[in-house]
Amino acid sequence: MATDDDDDDDDDDNDDDDDTCLVGLFFTGIFSLDCTLLNVYQRRVIWQNLRLLSRMSNSFPTECLSESKAFELPLEILSDAQPLKRDIKEAFYEMAIQAFNIFIQDTFQSTWEEKHLRQLQIGLDEQLRYLEQCLEEEEEENEDMKEMEEEERKHSRDTVSQLSNLELRRYFNRIDKFLKDKKYSHCAWEIVRAELKRCFYFFYKFTALLSRK
Amino acid sequence: MSKAKWNTAHFSLVFGISYILHDFSNEYCTLKMTLQNFRSVLSWEVRNHSVVPTHYTLWYTIISKPQNMTLVKDCTNITRSFCDLTDVWGNVTDTYIPRVVGFRGGTQLVNCMGSFFLETDTMSLDPPEFEIVDFTDHINVKVKFQSVAPKILDGEELQFYLAHVIEEQSGGIVKKYKPEVNGNITENFNYVINKLIPNINYCVSVYFEPKDPEKINRSPLKCTLLQPGQESESSESATIGGIITLFLIVAVFISTIMILKRIGYICLRNDFPKVLDFYKLSAWVFPELPPLEKVATVEIIHVNRKKKVWDYSYDESDSDDETAPQVSAGGYTMHGLRPLGPTSTSSATLEDCSDQATEEPDLPEPEAVTEAAMAPGPSPWQSECTSGAHEVSGDLLQDALSEEGSSPTEDSGDRIIFNVDLNSVLVRVLDDEDDDNSEVTPMLSSLPEEAVMPEGPAETDSSLLVARGEGTQLPFPSPSAECLWPEDAPSDHSDTSESDVDIGDGYIMR
Repeated sequence: MATDDDDDDDDDDNDDDDDTCLVGLFFTGIFSLDCTLLNVYQRRVIWQNLRLLSRMSNSFPTECLSESKAFELPLEILSDAQPLKRDIKEAFYEMAIQAFNIFIQDTFQSTWEEKHLRQLQIGLDEQLRYLEQCLEEEEEENEDMKEMEEEERKHSRDTVSQLSNLELRRYFNRIDKFLKDKKYSHCAWEIVRAELKRCFYFFYKFTALLSRK
Repeated sequence: MSKAKWNTAHFSLVFGISYILHDFSNEYCTLKMTLQNFRSVLSWEVRNHSVVPTHYTLWYTIISKPQNMTLVKDCTNITRSFCDLTDVWGNVTDTYIPRVVGFRGGTQLVNCMGSFFLETDTMSLDPPEFEIVDFTDHINVKVKFQSVAPKILDGEELQFYLAHVIEEQSGGIVKKYKPEVNGNITENFNYVINKLIPNINYCVSVYFEPKDPEKINRSPLKCTLLQPGQESESSESATIGGIITLFLIVAVFISTIMILKRIGYICLRNDFPKVLDFYKLSAWVFPELPPLEKVATVEIIHVNRKKKVWDYSYDESDSDDETAPQVSAGGYTMHGLRPLGPTSTSSATLEDCSDQATEEPDLPEPEAVTEAAMAPGPSPWQSECTSGAHEVSGDLLQDALSEEGSSPTEDSGDRIIFNVDLNSVLVRVLDDEDDDNSEVTPMLSSLPEEAVMPEGPAETDSSLLVARGEGTQLPFPSPSAECLWPEDAPSDHSDTSESDVDIGDGYIMR
């Protein structure tokens, strides 16, 4: 996003950095070690991101309706058939990192609430760190298992996981391409914003399904 | 290829028109999405009140799928300014774009569009209806719901729950209560807010608390001032009301019976069967105790009389006038007792017995008289009198006292028992105060000669025949004893002045 007053931006960045540190410490302090609360955290942070996306702008500009596009969110990865918890973590991680890559770009509309955008970026970053830590812990636990069973199980698991992650990546690639093709126009961002709200809500429901198990 | 180009051009043309239409956007009306009784309702309000359409038509589309506007059939050409989209907008993950067009006649006046992502852009639940019942120290809140199965609300996804807000007007303190709702949140339930202080105004508000705190839609406050002792007063008033109601019912019933009886519609019997004789039944169940008899000391005033020697003259003047009742100066009537013979109910008198007694050379001592009186028939000469004594009471005294309402006499063996109505006879209770004011005194004083008493100090103690002292009960002396008692008394007035009456259990009164 182009800025004219660098000094003001620097001040804002400093303030935002302070807020980022505080928020980061807050989340890290609570959820850094306990991966058993991962689902709870995921549910909460995804809902917060959803609210932030809604507040970032006013109602969808109806003039952009003509440029809408079907991005085809892969709903099959969110089905209840996922047997392993690691696959769910990986799907969450893939979604979070892809969304983070989209919102970390400095091509946002000036009409958006910047405060909300910053908070969204912080939330996504913390979500990624939490998931990375829990995935590493789970990786270490798997090293204690028997090699033969681990190899077979790992192979089957990775296949499913890879397919799911691949579909997610393709989905976010379509979004990214759309932005680029529309040259990060206002309507393109609005359409992407509406689409990511839909994506976040699906993952939010996915965590609800997981909590029943 | 040409076909594809044609489609593209057509597509653009359509959207071009739509774009033009979109210029109307939201400048003319305000769209609002709410949950009313868990129903998704889209409402709109025209901003420019100078241009008010008469009819509205609703279309919609979604962002995720480029498509033409879809007409809502139930909201086509309607006059109301809202539309229930519960069955139309079922996918809460999509962003819906509604379009409301207002007409007046055939002229389009307004064209409003908006966007709603149902999870975050709506869900301003209308608060449920509720009632409050205030007591002294607590308030009962009754929350009502309409039995509608929410399609949008999913207890686990949306996590709506109730929150009561109580505001104390005096302190401005707001306390929030979140009752746990078991089961569906659409069921009616009661919640009691305890530990409240009387004489303080409390206001209650009920609303759904969504995940987004900014979406809270509070209900209007309902306030009440807790009255001290209100709960007891309410119960007392209820009791009083119940009593009054019962009284009115009974009064109406009784008055109805009385009216019917008076007009002759019903006839109430006075002679009830024996089984319904509750008076007797009650008397049988609860027998009346005999009235307490006041036992008092009675003084016998002895009147000495000269022994009149019979001069062997049959003077009729000495007739049986003794038995005639004599009226005293005080207006009292005196009656005497005369023993009767076995065949005669009236001939036998105490005079005879007394005559018989006078033939005896020696009169028994008063104590002996007492013994004789006590013992049944100890002396031969007593037999006749004794037998007659059974009947003495039957006539003389009965005649004399019947007017006074004395109860019939009854004999028990060798004694005569009289039941005397104390109200009809004169009784003087030995008391220091009564010595001068005794009613008996005038009577006795007027008839001093007629009082028959055995002479002698010992004989004065013939009061043994009278109930002397509390509790002393002597059987009515046998006629022989009676006869013995006035030993020196002439026959004509042996007992006229005396009406020794046995009252029930042997009291003798004068």
